[in-house]
Amino acid sequence: MSKWYEKSGPESDTVISTRIRLARNLHELPFPVKMNKADRKKLVQGVAEATKNCTAEYDFQFVNMEDVSKVEAVSLVERHLASPEFISECDGRGMLVTEDETVSVMLNGENHLSLQTILEGLNLQRAYQTADQLDTMLEKSLHFAFDETLGYLTQNPVDLGTGMRASLMLHLPALKDGGEISRISTSLSKLGLALRGIYGSGTEPKGAIYQLSNQVTLGLSEQEAITNLESIAMQIITQERTARQTLAQSLDIQDTVSRSLAILQSARIMTNDEFMRLISNVRFGVAAGLIENVNYDVINRLIIEAQPATLMLSSGKKLTPNERHVLRAQMVHNIVKNENKADD
Amino acid sequence: MLCESCGKNPVTTHVKTIINGELTEYSLCAECAQKLGYGNLLTGLGRNFSSLLGGFFGETEPDSTDTMRCKGCGSSFDDIARSGKVGCAECYHIFYHRLIPLIQRIHGNTKHRGKVPGGELPQPRPQSQLSLMRRELRDAIDSENFEHAAALRDRIRELEGEKANE
Repeated sequence: MSKWYEKSGPESDTVISTRIRLARNLHELPFPVKMNKADRKKLVQGVAEATKNCTAEYDFQFVNMEDVSKVEAVSLVERHLASPEFISECDGRGMLVTEDETVSVMLNGENHLSLQTILEGLNLQRAYQTADQLDTMLEKSLHFAFDETLGYLTQNPVDLGTGMRASLMLHLPALKDGGEISRISTSLSKLGLALRGIYGSGTEPKGAIYQLSNQVTLGLSEQEAITNLESIAMQIITQERTARQTLAQSLDIQDTVSRSLAILQSARIMTNDEFMRLISNVRFGVAAGLIENVNYDVINRLIIEAQPATLMLSSGKKLTPNERHVLRAQMVHNIVKNENKADD
Repeated sequence: MLCESCGKNPVTTHVKTIINGELTEYSLCAECAQKLGYGNLLTGLGRNFSSLLGGFFGETEPDSTDTMRCKGCGSSFDDIARSGKVGCAECYHIFYHRLIPLIQRIHGNTKHRGKVPGGELPQPRPQSQLSLMRRELRDAIDSENFEHAAALRDRIRELEGEKANE
């Protein structure tokens, strides 16, 4: 079964994926900050019991965070299944995840449950429907903390109301190149949205990949929040496409794109930073029509599989940074080469 | 400690992230946090929470005579302000009036309009919702929470209008 990151979806030139998260807490237990070991166990058991009602829809596997290695935990973040905060403390935490990794639930993190769906491309409606359906199934046997005025009650008041965070993973190389991101980010914050880099320290996001998400959860419905996010996203996408057209005419840029593909195809040693820079150039090249024989699904897949922890996890052994750089170059070379062949 | 991005201003926001396969935390000043999409109070409220509450209630020392604790989890309001985390569902009822100004500031709103659990069950009739809101309005006026009262007043008018149009 292919995972969401092995595919591409609507508006895939700019939108890599769509994610919905719903924060939920059980009425009868204190919030995570006040939970003891027995409470955490009770929650995990309660949720395991509740998911028995939906085995026909979801093939959930349970991951006990206390049993996973550091590499596995980091790979969960690289695959966008867990937040960095979630893996920073593993006591009593767990996760349910389907085989294709599109539906998952974090247990005992910032909230008792954090329901998540993630899909390729711009897919807000479908992602919300899936999350909503899972929520409705779970609430048949779980009593979620809810107040008529404040909505779903959450540990942090920032999540009150719908408890919903909708986000889009966007590839914005041209806006980044033009130095537009911080201006956009500042004006978005006034609209209750946030735009931030996903990879790297945020001060210099790697690969020009950003996350656009809603910040306000109280006072507007899930549909209103999604419609709002989608309309702002379309404006950003339009700006990005316009900026790309100008960039793509420059011979310097065309040269950079061609060289980037050539290095990805033939390098023997590659750091993660170099990989992210090159794959971003190639993704831009595909969108601008400068490269024809590489598909978005291959690029999306590489961006996840070449991340350090995920790379190590698939190799099945602990690798030094140098060994990782060699393995990354090899993997990228094989996948890009096969892609070229398949298209011949 | 100075901001890791500009190296000039004091740190206000801490962000956990993965860099090269390692879990890392980096620290930003308010200005850089804003530029990088972590700026508003809506994300990683954490350590800003108590200063935010401080802003609401004046720069006074926490009132040591304030010993009210949540029956559900034992949290005091001071615990919530310090950690930025609410202890349990019951806390929202016990400390409702003290949390509402903060919630208003975060979301620009204090009334849920989204999904209601058990959506297939009959919803409370608008009439009963109205009487609840009128009671809440009286409470808000009594406790001199005029901002909340004004919002409630508008919502009540809206609902009354809807009723009249039926």
